[in-house]
Parts: sequence; C-alpha cells; structure tokens
Amino acid sequence: MSKHQYAMLMDLNKCLGCQTCTIACKKLWTDRDGTGYMYWNNVETRPGLGYPRQWDRIGGGWKDGALQPSPLPTMDDYGHAWEYNYEQRLYEGKKQPVMPSPEPKSGVNWDEDVGGMNEDENYFFYLPRICNHCTHPACLEACPRKAIYKRDEDGIVVIDQDRCQGYRYCIKACPYKKIYFNEVTGKSEKCIFCYPRLEKGDVNACAAQCPGRLRFVGLLDDPESPVHKLVLVHKIALPLFPEKGTQPNVFYVPPFNPPKRENYGKSIQEDPRVPLDYLIYLFGPEAKDVITRLEAELNKTQEGGRSEALQLLIGRDAETRYHVRPQLVQIQL
Amino acid sequence: MRTRQLVVITSACLLLSATWAQTGAKPVAGQSLSVAASSANADSLLHGGPAAWNQIAVKHVALNRTPPLYDTDEPATLEISTVDVRLARVSKNLLVQLSWRDPTHDATTLAEVPNTPPETRFRKVQTETDDRFFDAAAIMFPAKPASGAIAPSLQMGDTEHPVEIYYWNATRGSMVMQAQGRGTTRRTGQNFMVNSAYQNGQWNVIFELPDLPAGTTVAFAVWNGSQKDRDGRKYFSVWQVLE
Repeated sequence: MSKHQYAMLMDLNKCLGCQTCTIACKKLWTDRDGTGYMYWNNVETRPGLGYPRQWDRIGGGWKDGALQPSPLPTMDDYGHAWEYNYEQRLYEGKKQPVMPSPEPKSGVNWDEDVGGMNEDENYFFYLPRICNHCTHPACLEACPRKAIYKRDEDGIVVIDQDRCQGYRYCIKACPYKKIYFNEVTGKSEKCIFCYPRLEKGDVNACAAQCPGRLRFVGLLDDPESPVHKLVLVHKIALPLFPEKGTQPNVFYVPPFNPPKRENYGKSIQEDPRVPLDYLIYLFGPEAKDVITRLEAELNKTQEGGRSEALQLLIGRDAETRYHVRPQLVQIQL
Repeated sequence: MRTRQLVVITSACLLLSATWAQTGAKPVAGQSLSVAASSANADSLLHGGPAAWNQIAVKHVALNRTPPLYDTDEPATLEISTVDVRLARVSKNLLVQLSWRDPTHDATTLAEVPNTPPETRFRKVQTETDDRFFDAAAIMFPAKPASGAIAPSLQMGDTEHPVEIYYWNATRGSMVMQAQGRGTTRRTGQNFMVNSAYQNGQWNVIFELPDLPAGTTVAFAVWNGSQKDRDGRKYFSVWQVLE
C-alpha cells in the first residue's frame, strides 16, 4: 500500500465527448514513433465496443486471488493508426486529395454515438478512460521483470522503460486494457497520471483541458480533496468494473440525469434514460445506491435546499476541482 | 494437472541445481560438447554458410519445454525437440552454430526509424502489430570461471553464480545480457557478432562468443515466436560441458 494515493473522479453527466482530453494527452505523451494507436486517455461511447473493442469482455484482472487469462487485443481491435499524405499535396504539388493510409477500418470511438436502445428510445453516454492506477494492479503482479511499480509516495503505477522487455503479460493481465505495446521500442507504455505535472503542482493535462469541467483530481486520503469528499464522504462515485478486483483509483459519477422523458414528479429510477442494469454492469450493484443518493441530493436542491455534493460536482473553478498538493507527497529521489 | 506438472518439473530443476550446488558434482556424463580447433578464419565460418561447418562434428542437444510459468499461460506443445550444436575455436573466439527445425518463420524487418525528431516529421513510424513474437535463441554460460565443477542454476544463474547470456532475436538482433537468477536479466548494452539464416524450415544461427575454456558449462535456449514464446516461455537444454 502506498503512503498516498492520487485519484481522479469523472462526472459522466458532464462529458461532452469532445475528445479534448484525448488530444491533450496525445500531444503531450504519445506523439512519438510507435505510439499512433495509443490513447493513454480515450473517450468511448457507451454502450459500445470500447477501445480496444470488447476490452471489457476479454478477461484479465483477479478472481479468488488469481490472475485471470486474457488474449492480447489485436491491431484490428485497436484499428491501425493511419497517416495522411500531406507531403504530396503541400510539398510535391500533386493534386490528389489528402487521404488517410492505411484505409481506416476501426479506431478510437469508432462507434461514436451509436449507443443502445432503452425500450423504444436510443441512449448513449461517454466514458472517458485512463489507467486506473489500481491499488492492487494486476499488471504489476503479471510482470516477470518487475518492471512495473506503484510509486510509494503517490500510488501512481508506472512502467520502468529500462526494465521492460516487451513481454506483454501486463497487457493481458490489465482488465481495462490500458497498457499498449510500442513495437518500435519493443516496450509497453501506459498513462503516467501526468506525474511530472503533479510534482510541479499542475493538474493532469486531460483534466486541465476538459471544457466540460468533469474531472476532479486529488489525493484520495486527503480530507480536503474533492475526490476524497465525493468518493468517501458523499459516496456518489464508483470505480469501473469493481469485480475485476484491482481496486481502481479512477471513480465515476454515473450518468443519471435527465430522466428519459419530461416526466416531472416521477423518480429517475422509475423512468431512467440509461437502464440501471447497464450502470450495474459497468459500476457494480452499488450503482443503484449511488443513483438513489444523487436523486436525493437533486430533490433537496429542487426543494430550495443546498447540496454540498452537487455544489462540489458543479466544480466552478480549478480550486474546487483539483487539490494537487506536492508538498504532501514526499518524493523519494 | 498442469499445476502438478509445473511443481514436478520446477522441483526437479531446483533439486538438480541444488544438488550440483551442494555436492559440486559434475553434470551428467554424456552431456559434453566437443570443440573443433579450426584453422579457418572466423569470417569464413561466420559468413560462409552451412558448407563451412560440414566438417565439424555435430551434437544433437535435447530441448525441453518450460512448464507453464503462470496460471494464465496458454499450454504449449513440444514442437522443437533438439538443437544441433557445432563449436569451433577460432583464434580468440568460440564460434557456435545452432541449427533447429522450425516450420514457422517468425521474423520481420521493422521499419527504420529516421534519425530526426518525430515532431519534425509528417509521418511517424507506427506500431504495425502488437501481438506477434519472434524466433530467438540464446547461449548461457557462467559469468565467472566456475569454482570446481559447480554449475549455476539453470534458471538464469543465482546470486553466487551469475551468468552471461548471448541472446539473438530474429527481428531485433543480438544483445549480451547478465543475470543472477530468474527475473534479474539485464542488458549490458553490448552486442556480439551473429549471422543467421532461415532456409527450408530450418534456422542456422552462428554466435561469436568469447573463448571459453574447456570444462565451461553452457546451456542453450530457443524461442518459437508462433508459440508466443518470450521470457521463460521457451525451449531449454540442460547444462553441457565444453571439452
């Protein structure tokens, strides 16, 4: 167990699916050789295939204390990264249109806004995903090289690029498929929770750039941090697939509002836009309790009262949303 | 069943290494490798093709399949049962030719990475495939002259008996590694001369090792990419003794 644990919370009711977080991350970390297909941060439409497709159904994680098998996703599951022939258009004066190559056949958020059906109505929402920096990481356990470690000072899980030999047991073990193999370097890579930014007191790039202001960052064990308050005090956020056993440190406020129809006076749970079963699939059985709590908070404000939880979720300014305190995290050099 | 196999085979390996370590007993007779003193120059043996090695005695060394190392490992069958070894001492080097039959040629030429920063280029070199593994082979020997006849642990040596590993990968080339036990392998940053050819379902790979004195123990390993071999998932021989 690390001394402290950085955590992120994302309010799915606010996600626009604009991919600004994805691009912020990509420009900062994965704009290198071999990383075209890597999205340390991706936003996928739910219900949907996900990225890599069907990652939530192919395995990994823990069961009864043992790692669970999983195949490696293939490049077809990710979609081959394509490049555009700008050179010929811009420098060689050729008149062919700028085209992607290879022909795109799949990719990140390929099934954008398809979603699913709830009785006769279509519904979807966006699910932004980064590495969960788990308390009990399956990737760390699976690595025979001991190349993966959890930073004692802040709980961030990183891959030592000097020790990694590219065996990819970690990718199989991760139930969220958030580790990617770079064939150019022969090593695996993943989200580093922007630790170089946090060490300077700056928040993660994906959070800083989010126009929907849906991300909250802080130490889970810091009573002043918004993540601590929303997860542990108000109990209105849940990790993804808790049954995978890795104890993720990224938490989600499930999408619950607005109700399916303009059905004032009726409970959200009586007429949900997103079927409760699907939320339970993603966030476990506690999703129902969380929706109940959120609805109670909503009712409180609609009756003229004040909800600290909802005020916090609005997250008007960076000071409310982020509590990055490098002074609390004693970095071991 | 698999778990039981793992326990039995691992115990057997550990017992064997422990026995050697405790008694200093020599590895079983018959596991010796004759070394030809060749008057040919190193280049002709390294690059002269199989014909250059025809005069040199061959030893068929049995290969074993490592048992599944992890609960989540897919089972693997014994597809490569022997590796043919020929050795020649040439000037101050030991040349070793390893030949084995492998119907699947798991190797590729990775795109060359330009010598310019990626941010200055329109195009990056992309990861073509994330789930392929390549054929490989390695020769392991004690990093320091063995005291008496004690052989290091077959599992990448041990703290008392570090090993050097000359590793060749059909796609990524050669590298010298050192280890002091399982999971401790590290690259030294050095390469070595190697020449490899794949023809008619057979690999012929010639390693140029530093000269090793008679009595040195050496062990061989082969990885089959199509069986998703990497790490300890591989074929291995027991220790052989150079004559």
